[in-house]
Amino acid sequence: MHKTTDNKLLQDAKKNVSQCDRCGTCLPVCPLFEAKGVETSSARGKNTIARALAEGGIEPTPDVLAAVNFCLLCRACVETCPSKIKTDEAMINVRQYLINRTGGPSVKYKAIGSFLKNRGMVKIAAGTLSILRKLGLNSVFPDGMVPEEYTRAHFLAAFAGPAALGKKVLPSDVAVTATTKVAYFKGCGMRMMFPKASDETLKILKTTTRVMLKNNVCCGMPHLAHGLRDEFLALAKKNIRLYEDAEVVVCDCASCGGALKHIASYFNEDPEWKDQAATFSRKVMDLTEYLVKVGYTPRQKVDTTFTYHDPCHLVRGQGIEKQPRDLLKATGKFVEMKEADTCCAGAGTFHMDYPDISSKIIEKKRQNIEGTGAAIVVTGCPGCLIQLTKAAKASGGKFKPMHISQVI
Amino acid sequence: MIREEIKKKISDIVGPENALDSNLDRFTYSYDASFVPLLPANKPDLVVRPLTTEEVSKLMAIAYEHEIPVTPRGIASGRTGGSVPLKGGISLSLDRMTKVVELDEKNMMVTAEAGVRTFDLYNFCAAKGLFYPPDPASWKFSTIGGNVAENAGGMRAVKYGVTSDYVMGLEVVLADGTVLQTGGKAIKNVTGYDLVSLFTGSEGTLGVITKVLLKLIPMPKKRGTLQIMFRTLDDGCMTIHKMLQSNIVPATAEIMDRTCLEAVARHRKMDLAPAIGASIVIEIDGEDDKALETQAKQIEAVAKECGSVEFRIAQSQQESDELWAIRRGLSSAVAGLAPNRLGEDISVPRDALPEVVRRIRSIAEKYKLPIAVYGHAGDGNLHPSILCDLSNHEEAERVHQAVEEIFKAALAVGGTLSGEHGIGITKRPYITLALGEAGVKTLKAVKQALDPKGILNPGKIW
Repeated sequence: MHKTTDNKLLQDAKKNVSQCDRCGTCLPVCPLFEAKGVETSSARGKNTIARALAEGGIEPTPDVLAAVNFCLLCRACVETCPSKIKTDEAMINVRQYLINRTGGPSVKYKAIGSFLKNRGMVKIAAGTLSILRKLGLNSVFPDGMVPEEYTRAHFLAAFAGPAALGKKVLPSDVAVTATTKVAYFKGCGMRMMFPKASDETLKILKTTTRVMLKNNVCCGMPHLAHGLRDEFLALAKKNIRLYEDAEVVVCDCASCGGALKHIASYFNEDPEWKDQAATFSRKVMDLTEYLVKVGYTPRQKVDTTFTYHDPCHLVRGQGIEKQPRDLLKATGKFVEMKEADTCCAGAGTFHMDYPDISSKIIEKKRQNIEGTGAAIVVTGCPGCLIQLTKAAKASGGKFKPMHISQVI
Repeated sequence: MIREEIKKKISDIVGPENALDSNLDRFTYSYDASFVPLLPANKPDLVVRPLTTEEVSKLMAIAYEHEIPVTPRGIASGRTGGSVPLKGGISLSLDRMTKVVELDEKNMMVTAEAGVRTFDLYNFCAAKGLFYPPDPASWKFSTIGGNVAENAGGMRAVKYGVTSDYVMGLEVVLADGTVLQTGGKAIKNVTGYDLVSLFTGSEGTLGVITKVLLKLIPMPKKRGTLQIMFRTLDDGCMTIHKMLQSNIVPATAEIMDRTCLEAVARHRKMDLAPAIGASIVIEIDGEDDKALETQAKQIEAVAKECGSVEFRIAQSQQESDELWAIRRGLSSAVAGLAPNRLGEDISVPRDALPEVVRRIRSIAEKYKLPIAVYGHAGDGNLHPSILCDLSNHEEAERVHQAVEEIFKAALAVGGTLSGEHGIGITKRPYITLALGEAGVKTLKAVKQALDPKGILNPGKIW
């Protein structure tokens, strides 16, 4: 059917992974290898599988798809690799290749894909999550997944205390020219699962500028990751058009931001969209990146200890690690946790596909969070927030997870 | 092929989740970090991941009875194919055996299972102020069992020696499943043959190392990193000679040529001054800052005398970590310069280093192949890396001739084939050249005595 495209996917993956000399540097940093211990689950294992597939040493069987699906796309291996092999890109390419060959992704990923593609549905779901169950997607979004959301009101009530609240909140000393057109990108995860956090983002943005609101569609990351590349490209085009008149697009979800910033690379060879895509990707900023750039001062200073969990798609996907920490240090006490940038194993739907492995990894994260003694663990990604909520429950309420917009 | 009932027996010993025979698992246990081609894959019939010595012993008894090849494996980070199951059979992965059994602070010795990662062992001892010096470039992921089986070297060899200098005792499961305890904590020990030395560096061909007893030394209190740039590699080598002759012994002295520096610069998106032809990175250690300062000054004076063009002292731990990260990642960064990289591991008398590098340069010219040279200049162990495209048959032929000439050059100046990677599969064709007929015959006699059925890591060394 798509023979040429298929071969290109595989050749792209091969070009990438054939630079791997199998040294093993990625082994100790791969969270899945640590959890499972078997070479097939490691970054090196999956890269050699991809190479053997491209060179004809392995047949494109369902177990190969299962093997390449068993990847968090967390980029811990990419970061540490002396040759900078992009395992995440290779896995995405191989997934797409196998799915094209075997006649489409699993019913489950298709269902999630078409659900997220539909803005109306996402909005309805945000209003009432029970629609998910009505849609028969309860196995995809099981009851336990929709996390309890801690609101900013909870935060202030619990941690700021009357004294802190009594103080007048200092006005932000941001200098933004009146002409800078800043727009907000509201991701599906934020909209459906953390609407209060999303509201706070908007409030913060409004203290800095007049914010343009758009009826944006999904960033397409879930589609891209699970072999629905055509849908990803279609969504990307819609968003590119939608934000044509904005100069800055601020995003408070690490995965959306990461995907939007990388859109350009997927249109490299498309003469019609190449330039527009590049222009679009250049104007995307993470919330913290934007706030530090405009010199935002947190709305209040509190006597609370924070720690921070780095979302993969922020720290390794966008190189953002200093900004959120600086903002937190300006808000309260900050304690760094051990292995803050290790993936929490949320990874889109990974935590639903592999609950056992995912629990094992989040358990270690819980210990690291508790080790700091912090009352609040902050992050910048709804996927991570789901995992951190599980960790908080397991800790018996020793800490609360919050989106950064809820505390600063 | 291993019969189903035998697989069942093995899986009863280690548990079904630790006896893997799916096609993908067999594939991912078919390679290591050597340039032995990935395909056709040298797949084992079964991957076995035991947890205890007892399990290893039971497994070996079965393998011995049924004459099944067994290839021991740590984390498969070896560079010569040592853990590649060339004849199928069982890939015996020891990476679940990760206990540090005992840290004897009084005698300054540590006992650890084979699967403990070397870096973890180092940190474990360091927490008590004790120092396990051998640090192969792979130490963050390679296992101590693998390090002992390959007699791994590392950068600190110039001052502290290699793995074998620290092995005091071993627990080894022999071919028939017998568990042998050899060596011990007595520092002087001449009771019987020195079996500890025999098994150290035996590449999994004589027995399965399950536990190691290692000697430790007190941890140096202070460390510092220096980077010196030179116009030529000769100037760098001369600096190292003069240092050692005047009793300035750095913990490490690593040299990289222009090609390596370009690979690093490309990776780090830095500019490299055109006049720079080589660089040495040195680690010094001592009791206090003053001792480091004195050494650094002495080294600076020697380097200047030898024509250094730049001298830099790392000002922070971070800066020093960065310099070492560059060196540790060099092998793979160089590999990224071409479709294929054949990295060698020759070792020569220290004074022959400039001469062997000159010979390598002329080999590079003769065969029109870029060869990056880096290595442990402090101990004469070099890693010439031929950058090539092996899919081009004409080029591949030139590469093989060049490799052979590099080995001959090393032997001609009084050196040897391998300093720290072992012989494995990749250097096998040259073993007689290095050891002579009598040497190889003696190795075979030892092998025959300990592994009469030839089931342990068959197809390696000769």
